Amino acid sequence: MPADFDKEAYPKPPRQTPVADKQTALPNPALILSKLFYYSVDLPVTTFRGVVDSIRAQNRSVYYHQKFRRVPDLTECVHGDYLCYYEAEMQWRRDFKVDQEIVKVIQERMRACQQREGHSYEQNCSKEIEQFNEVSNSYMSRYGDLGAYSSGRKCLMKQKERMMAAQAQSAI
Amino acid sequence: MKPTSASSSCALIKDGRFGFTSLLTAHTYHWSELGCSTIVAMVGMSLLRSAAAFAVRLSPLKSGNTAANLLTRTIPRADKVAVRWGHGKKMFVVKPTDYYDRRFLRLLQFYFLLTGIPVAVIITFVNVFIGEAEMAEIPEGYEPEYWEYYKHPITRWIARTIYDTPVKDYEKMMAVIQIEKEKADMRLTELEVRRLMRTRGDGPWFHVPTIHKGLIDNSPKSSPDN
Repeated sequence: MPADFDKEAYPKPPRQTPVADKQTALPNPALILSKLFYYSVDLPVTTFRGVVDSIRAQNRSVYYHQKFRRVPDLTECVHGDYLCYYEAEMQWRRDFKVDQEIVKVIQERMRACQQREGHSYEQNCSKEIEQFNEVSNSYMSRYGDLGAYSSGRKCLMKQKERMMAAQAQSAI
Repeated sequence: MKPTSASSSCALIKDGRFGFTSLLTAHTYHWSELGCSTIVAMVGMSLLRSAAAFAVRLSPLKSGNTAANLLTRTIPRADKVAVRWGHGKKMFVVKPTDYYDRRFLRLLQFYFLLTGIPVAVIITFVNVFIGEAEMAEIPEGYEPEYWEYYKHPITRWIARTIYDTPVKDYEKMMAVIQIEKEKADMRLTELEVRRLMRTRGDGPWFHVPTIHKGLIDNSPKSSPDN
């Protein structure tokens, strides 16, 4: 079984099952159906899962999260040093993928919150929504319209344009 | 036999005077339930249809319609078929061949499943009996093999058996870049050297071979070519 999810990020909603208050002698059809479902579907599936898990327990293996060393950035490379360019480009691509996954995680949190809260999500999930807006805005400003042939160099040029715009803005 | 008016023909039909009420009995309609004018219309239509069928069969141009048996023989009626429920008469339905289409689909199925079924079985057994790996922290002082960074067992196997380690791929790419860089640098220096040798005139690349200076005749001459 994979590791459990972060309990603080996805809190459980409060239980809403009503207290059972039987006032008639007639059998409860909902109970009958649920027992039927349990014995016909739930129990066989669970036992099968148990059997498969016991077989899998013998062949357990692990995988690790690869950590890469940090290499000099594109700004720290000497002009014409193509090897340094290549290493910086690979590092930029790895960081790009990591940023995409970060945006996905934040988006998943907001979606889970909306699902939990139902119709009152706008006021109850304001923190998650604000976090998602901030993260996606910064992602767009950094990697926004780079296109399919994006590279570390193009991203650097976009950053330069941003800085120039900010400088022009502050000079006004 | 032409019906004079709708009402009179209706009366005649109801009396049963006209011989072609036998045509009506061939249909399964209860003509007492229908209105009179619809019966007239239906009779007219069925009349036309049978007349056309008659004419086709009776034309003297068709084979088998000799003068002797044109008028005397009985003509088969195609619109009067006995309706039987249950096990019907076996018919040979004439239609264009679908042998080639069915053969194509059969062969497609066969060749698709020839490798499809083993692949599906292998993938099912791998997922059921071996199962995916679990995430774990890298232990102290242990350098994981490069295939231990993947989750699914088949991906791990491909990475272990078929692919090179990504470190090797990285180094291969760096070697290619290094070689190309050296080639580019050499080409640039070659251009620079050519330029300098041509301008300064002392480089060996632009020397023109001439005869030995001892063979030059320095005595005065009367004409340029002597």
